Amino acid sequence: MAERRETLKIIGAISATCTFPYTGNELYGQHAKPHAGHTPGAQASTGPRKFFTEAEFALLSTLTDVIIPDTDTPGASKAGVPGYIDLVVNANPEHRKLMRDGVAWLASQNFAALDPAGRIALLTPLSEVLDKGRVKTMPERFFRLTKSLTCDGYFTSQIGLSQTLGFQGGNMLASYPSCEIPEH
Amino acid sequence: MAQQKIFDVVVVGSGASGGTLAGRLARQGVDVALIEGGPKLNTRTDFNTHAMPFEFANRHIPTMKPGKAGMDSQRTRGAGGKSQTWNAVAWRFSQRDFKGKDWDDGAGENWPLDYADMAPHYDSIEREVGVCGNLDGLTDLPDGIFLPPAPLKCSDVLLQRGAAKLGVKIIHVRKSTLTKAKSGRPACHYCGNCMAGCDVAAKYNSYDVHIIPAIRQTGKLTLFTDTLAREVLLSAENRVTGVATIDRLTKKPGEIRGRAVVVSCACVQSVGLLQMSKSRRYPTGLANSSGQLGQHFIPHFTGGIEFLLTKLKGKQLANDEGFLDHAYQPSFMHTRNRGYARSFGAQFGYQNRRGVGWARKFPGFGADFKNAVKEAYPAYVVWSPYGEKIPDGRSRIYLDENNRDEWGLPEVKRELHWSDNDWKIFNDMTTWGREIVRASGGEILDVSNEPKPNHELGGCRMGTDPKTSVVDRNCRTHDVSNLYVVDGSVFPSASEKNPTHTMMALAARTAEHLAERFKKGEM
Repeated sequence: MAERRETLKIIGAISATCTFPYTGNELYGQHAKPHAGHTPGAQASTGPRKFFTEAEFALLSTLTDVIIPDTDTPGASKAGVPGYIDLVVNANPEHRKLMRDGVAWLASQNFAALDPAGRIALLTPLSEVLDKGRVKTMPERFFRLTKSLTCDGYFTSQIGLSQTLGFQGGNMLASYPSCEIPEH
Repeated sequence: MAQQKIFDVVVVGSGASGGTLAGRLARQGVDVALIEGGPKLNTRTDFNTHAMPFEFANRHIPTMKPGKAGMDSQRTRGAGGKSQTWNAVAWRFSQRDFKGKDWDDGAGENWPLDYADMAPHYDSIEREVGVCGNLDGLTDLPDGIFLPPAPLKCSDVLLQRGAAKLGVKIIHVRKSTLTKAKSGRPACHYCGNCMAGCDVAAKYNSYDVHIIPAIRQTGKLTLFTDTLAREVLLSAENRVTGVATIDRLTKKPGEIRGRAVVVSCACVQSVGLLQMSKSRRYPTGLANSSGQLGQHFIPHFTGGIEFLLTKLKGKQLANDEGFLDHAYQPSFMHTRNRGYARSFGAQFGYQNRRGVGWARKFPGFGADFKNAVKEAYPAYVVWSPYGEKIPDGRSRIYLDENNRDEWGLPEVKRELHWSDNDWKIFNDMTTWGREIVRASGGEILDVSNEPKPNHELGGCRMGTDPKTSVVDRNCRTHDVSNLYVVDGSVFPSASEKNPTHTMMALAARTAEHLAERFKKGEM
């Protein structure tokens, strides 16, 4: 947020040179008067769990962290992905049965008790089938949906977008950054 | 009913066409009522211009702030219409675009206007609202009066070099977005979310640039928001007398009267309003003696290629999404032997970087997968070509009387077919896109395999023959001398170029024509 305030200051200097009829705070009214239920710059809470049971949610969280693990930046569960998936599955009844069956399948494979290599070994065949476009069985369909939701949730999260991907946009710039083509 | 004010002109729709027209008329001393189905907006505070997806639990950034109405459906868009959320690409059509039938051995239709008829109006719009771009000297993409262009992105430079190897030109895009402060509007601040609504009106929108100033400065423009048009009213003498309305919020019926009516509710809704305005004289819709109303629906079609530019993989991410797309590949096939009528152009990278829906397509999972997406992120580009559809005799706009909304108005539907010619263009533009990506050192992730409609055009076409067209070269209906239609619906041929700048020039031209008729006492 400090950074955003900084860019506002830069822009403020520019707007003083033109005669826009809406000046000062009014010009940047979206920031001066944030609306209820929306905090600019902060990740919104997905609220209390709605669909998965506590045990299911824990297994799902483990799975999302195998798909997008902690590396030099935090992985899926720290980025709030399980809560996002809970919200989406709750809002889309057509996904509910597959997700419930899939998590039950994970439990039947003792997923929680497996070591990291064991978890990867369990998921690798599913991922290979997905990459070949030959998804058929319930566990394969479950892996496809969970991977999609994990990607969507992670790369739109504050951690995924800002930290992992390094997105810097959404700020107000005094001028457009010039292109430095890598080989020149 | 109490005696009601009679305006000179009632304009239906406050978007780029209606807003330009109403503002221009008011400045020429014509007393205008402007009807808008949606609410009043405050451009500065009502949009989520600078929002990030994670600020919303479901990661969907809503167009409007919580509790603010507008932009949520076809009939409640709000003051400024789609000009609030457009990408502002602004091309002049060329003489070839206006005379496509002559150029392509009889395919499609000609406009009853030449470039020379439109040039002064493009000039005046560019002077007034500010269009940025480069002077490129291309015959098929006439230069205008431009503010400095926005600089190219790295990805644009790489594509420009790749395309040049194939003899294809890539130029700076031209947009109705200010690269320098002008007329009290600040320059673009490159926040990268133009299509979410520009909070400082550096990007043109009709409400802040045409409508509000005309209301304040002329006293000749009255804006009626939350007012849905349900029928254009016709007298026994075959003249329109005003518009029957419904209050969007209270659903109370009303009427706004005028000496002339201009329908500018965006292509599909304009045709729908005329089709809803049935009478004994016009049983299939107002001004439809030709039977052409709703016919010749010719939206642009897009394709798409998602790819990674290898040279940018793993590089430091530039903060370059501001202003969205910066470059354009103009039509070049129209001068080559190609086996189809018309042509295509292409935009690229106008999607900003806030959505990463493509990540799920990457193979595998785990740390390698995460790193692969991270490495690809600065290199990701979407190629979005636009093809020109020529009238196919079947694609049309029509009313579904059995399907009514909460105001009792029938749904306006689109029937769309892809002709042989459309498919030939689609396939060729996709082939060229692949070649240009390959020549630029790109790795293709995904390619669209079917055309998708975009910019809606046609349905109320302009022409010289009242038997084959609905309006004349002044946008006046052949059937009713004080009824006009001004927007994309009147385009007899679509060009492959983004249409809004031409709609605005057409609105400026029609405003001049109408003001002249008032001065002469013809109304």
